[in-house]
Amino acid sequence: MTQTNTNPYAKEIIKDTLMSIGEEMFVALARTSMSPIIYEVLDYACGLTDAKGNLISQGNGVTSFIGMLSPMVKSVLDKFGDDLKKGDIIIINDPYVGGGSHLSDVGLVMPIFHENQLVGFSANKGHWTDVGGKDPGSLTSDSTEIFQEGIQLSGVKLFDEGILNNSLETIITDNIRLPQFSIGDMWAQVSALRTGEKRFKELCNLHSKETLVQVIEDLILSSEEYSQQVISSLPKGVYEAEDFIEGDSEKGGPYKIKVKVTITDAEFICDFRGSHEQVFHPVNCTYYGLLASVRVMYLAIVQPQFNITEGLFKPLKIITDRKSILSAERPAPVSMNFEARLGGAELIWKALAPTIPERLPAGHSLSVCSVTVSGVHPHTHEDFLIVEPSVGGWGATNESDGQRGQFCMGNGETYNVPIEVAEAKYGVMVSEYAFRNDSGGAGEFIGGQGVVRSYKILSDDQYLSASYGRHKFAPWGMNGGKAGAPSYIEVYRENGDVVGPFGVTTRLNLKKGDTVKLVTPSGGGYGNPKDRNYDKVERDIKNGFYTEEEARIQFGHK
Amino acid sequence: MRVTTDIGGTFTDLLYIDNNGEFYFDKVHTTPPNFENGVMNVMEKSSLNYEMIDMFIHGSTIVINTLTERKGAKVGLITTKGARDVLEIARGNRPDLYNFKYKKPAPFVERYLRLEVNERMNYKGEILEGLSEEDVLDAIDYFKKENVDAVAVCLLHAYKNPLHERAVVDLVRKYWPETTVTASHELINEWREYERTNTTVLNSYVKPVMERYIDNLDSKLNEKISNNNRYIMQSNGGITSFDDSREFPVNLIESGPVAGVYGAAILGEIIGEPNIISFDIGGTTAKCSLINNKEVKVSTDYYIEKNDRYAGYPVKVPVVDIVEIGNGGGSIAWIDELGSLKVGPQSAGSNPGPVSYGQGGEKATTTDANLYVGRLSAKNFDNNVDIVKLREAINNQVANAFNTPTEDGALGIIDIANSNMLNALKLISVRKGFNPQDFTMVAFGGGGPMHAAELARELKIKKVVIPHAASVFSAWGMLMSDTRKDYIQTYLAKLDKLDFKNINDQWNVMEHTSLDDFSNNNLDKFPIEFERSIDLRYEGQEHTVKMRISDDIWNEEFVESIKTSFHEMHEFTYSFRLENTGVEIVNMHLTSIGKIDRPKLKQLENKGIELKDTIKEVRDVYFKNNGWSKTNIYNRELLEEGHMIEGPAVIEERTTSTIILDNQQARIDEYGNIILIVEVK
Repeated sequence: MTQTNTNPYAKEIIKDTLMSIGEEMFVALARTSMSPIIYEVLDYACGLTDAKGNLISQGNGVTSFIGMLSPMVKSVLDKFGDDLKKGDIIIINDPYVGGGSHLSDVGLVMPIFHENQLVGFSANKGHWTDVGGKDPGSLTSDSTEIFQEGIQLSGVKLFDEGILNNSLETIITDNIRLPQFSIGDMWAQVSALRTGEKRFKELCNLHSKETLVQVIEDLILSSEEYSQQVISSLPKGVYEAEDFIEGDSEKGGPYKIKVKVTITDAEFICDFRGSHEQVFHPVNCTYYGLLASVRVMYLAIVQPQFNITEGLFKPLKIITDRKSILSAERPAPVSMNFEARLGGAELIWKALAPTIPERLPAGHSLSVCSVTVSGVHPHTHEDFLIVEPSVGGWGATNESDGQRGQFCMGNGETYNVPIEVAEAKYGVMVSEYAFRNDSGGAGEFIGGQGVVRSYKILSDDQYLSASYGRHKFAPWGMNGGKAGAPSYIEVYRENGDVVGPFGVTTRLNLKKGDTVKLVTPSGGGYGNPKDRNYDKVERDIKNGFYTEEEARIQFGHK
Repeated sequence: MRVTTDIGGTFTDLLYIDNNGEFYFDKVHTTPPNFENGVMNVMEKSSLNYEMIDMFIHGSTIVINTLTERKGAKVGLITTKGARDVLEIARGNRPDLYNFKYKKPAPFVERYLRLEVNERMNYKGEILEGLSEEDVLDAIDYFKKENVDAVAVCLLHAYKNPLHERAVVDLVRKYWPETTVTASHELINEWREYERTNTTVLNSYVKPVMERYIDNLDSKLNEKISNNNRYIMQSNGGITSFDDSREFPVNLIESGPVAGVYGAAILGEIIGEPNIISFDIGGTTAKCSLINNKEVKVSTDYYIEKNDRYAGYPVKVPVVDIVEIGNGGGSIAWIDELGSLKVGPQSAGSNPGPVSYGQGGEKATTTDANLYVGRLSAKNFDNNVDIVKLREAINNQVANAFNTPTEDGALGIIDIANSNMLNALKLISVRKGFNPQDFTMVAFGGGGPMHAAELARELKIKKVVIPHAASVFSAWGMLMSDTRKDYIQTYLAKLDKLDFKNINDQWNVMEHTSLDDFSNNNLDKFPIEFERSIDLRYEGQEHTVKMRISDDIWNEEFVESIKTSFHEMHEFTYSFRLENTGVEIVNMHLTSIGKIDRPKLKQLENKGIELKDTIKEVRDVYFKNNGWSKTNIYNRELLEEGHMIEGPAVIEERTTSTIILDNQQARIDEYGNIILIVEVK
């Protein structure tokens, strides 16, 4: 630790306070947001960086955003440099530059000044319900270039020295559906930024700027040292894995992706070269999207028990081909970027899990399993829009069964929408929300069950778009455990016809009386099924997860 | 005479106040599993005259302990067709973001005991499909076979229309009278099925245990006390009858800590301070709550076992808003993976306890730090404190790592503990838009009086009150309680499209329901007052703001005034308002309070003792700015009204110490409270 004259315990207090700021901004935003994707799904993050854009404090609900704030701030710094003024707020959703995932994730960045000097940034990023583009909810599964996906904001001043740019606000309002929600969220984001700014300045006023800078450097440096230490304790070697991004089989999917992970004493290198080139289908992710999710994977391996700062990521290196499906460039479509983003990151999981089973379980649902339903509410006659991820099954671990019904690695402190809330707001009835009973995932420890969620449609001309990954390739088992069960969607028409099963659909027309059955993947098993404890299998049967017949075949149970 | 008994993990406490306002306090060991024996023991020990007892008020941690120790009943759950897994899917969240081996909270009812019945309501409470009685009877048969002890019923949209739930309950009572059953609408009338199901299940889970306990206690009391004025403390800060708590024990889940908050509000009223920050430090946690204009805030956002890495279990019953953090006297100091100093949430508990207890504790705690710097006196410990061992522990755990003298290490521990508590205090005040300068802090529990002076200074709070008998203040709060019940009804409606008649009727229905409820539970002896609140939000928002309203008739003018207040309140709380966005009601909240005459407080007797004669000793105390300083230590038991003590100083009593810093001043009021003036001009 660097020596300074400040009382060492006073610095501890500053650290403590800094760490609590990100969390406070996070809570402030959730409580004032207008849209379920933010207040229920918590699909957003808030944080502080230092004056160079290095992450020092963050509160987040979904994992992926952890890696997005600092590259976003750095790109704003690159673009504006000395043109950043007190009171400025920059709005940015460009996926190809820092921090980009897709246009729906809108970031705000506010420089913080103390005594006329730039001391840090307050930043947040949230998933807006709609940012325009060809499809309601802006989650499109058949765009061929980004221009179809919504309004693009490449980093422009929403506030110029504290003054709102009314023209810009009007342009945004005019280009999006349900602007009252998204503009409401924008104000909630602004309010959270100001909270961060205020708290940071309170610290500046209490301590000298030098002390503060010193504490921040210490924080980043000590987490870097910690990270190095963990890496050096992992088994050295080269680990490889391959998998597929499923995409839409009618449009050329599935697409092969691969990784080679090299762990040395000081570095953790993820080489994705040789993966499929970028496609005219919105399952691409940009380099920054991949970076964000690889960071999540990296944290799952390093498992820090403290707040995350930039220093942790120092040993991590990522190599990709240009214009690959994992590193797409303008104007490649990226609306469903989570498919490539999470697919790429999960390759590292698949490659390393057999070597470090104490840290990583068997394969999980992986897919966000996003669902969009738009239509008119039959009672209120107002437009409604469901945009939601779905819970799925997680893989078994080396010591326990997999988790049932939990959001995928890309989500986190994400909440499902309650049936009673959904039925009041949307023109659907949830006729079933239950675990699957056909899960596979046999093993000494069994994979967690995915779920069935069925929407009975209550008005004509609703439209369904969905992207359910792990439809063709079920979550993988590990060390002798069996693969889990793949996802699927089926639509039961009122006249008895059945559409599907399928994994991806865009703007499928639905009529009153139709039922949409959404089935998420179940996780992979761990270890030989024949080794499963007899009483546990009995319990599985009693709980309805396997029939006696299945138990006999899968576990040799008598 | 009014008596409270409070069962804690280690001790069962008794506090009574007689008709002259005289206090008496005693404790005995808690007697698991027959807790009622401890209650009788402590009453015997105090040799009180049973004939004199006008009112018996009871508090206990049995509900929360039964839950956390998983010692409750085998519960069978009945749900709507298609919804039996709701209890286990829960909300699907994973708060431990980077732990891919995270385990969700296991449900209190395993899948094979969760049965579905055919029936369906829509969100308006209209019946889409009638209840299948056959399904209910099948479920009863199955539960009997599986030796289920208690039944829980939660059907979709029952908060809007409880008809089917009532029918299920009737069938269970008819065909299985020996069992006990809870339906969700009897407890909660708010939407969100997972939260409601879980709460209902938890009630059923603790109910058989609580029934046995209450019945045993009741019959023991019958042997001694002829009147039936027996009450039990609930989590909403009020008391209720034994009968009621037998039916709905989950309402008692957080009863201990809330009594302290309620006490702080009452004390505030007595000394003329309507705005109070209640601050209570015990052995393992610190708890704080904000009372704005005499109003103790109650909400239904309570969880058990939840922390920032674990989802926990929601319990949607009315609980006083308390922020609780893992920082008490026994909290252990440690250095994390990054070399940062942390205090808590790990606690040395009461066994082995802090190093200074000499029971084998090896890890330095906040109490140890307070002792080392002289804020506590080794003479007040039951054992001989091993100072060498204490110094070693602080050096090894903290001071050596930072290259500082031991006393700076000890002060570092106190500072970090204070920083944690400061965050909690800010969370309830500045973060919600309140200015701490407008509030008086009431500090109690074993540690509150020791940390209050510094925290108040940081927050710019002007005045701190350390109540008389600060370490049993929660029990005192219980003595002062009124009967209380909260009724919350989800009522989703836009203010602009409100059906005035409907909502006025709804308030009337709620008030009548409440009156019936009070009389059915023998709670109608006291005059009942109603208070109305509503949960409001901008259209599209999810989270709501609770607002007290008058009991005026709803009409256009009244709604306008509500809107205006809501915009103001939203801006106050969240720093912005949306004038052009519609406002909607989510919940109606009726609070019914049966006002009980409070026992009068006794004033301190004045014996004319001079201040200088109350000084016990002069001892070295280590302060941040002044280093080791000779400091006056006052004996609280000798202090009298009007005594004025200049800081730095320490006031000692048997169970705690009050610290007064430089530029601070303490005055003793007529009831023996210490009034600390934080910044002396």
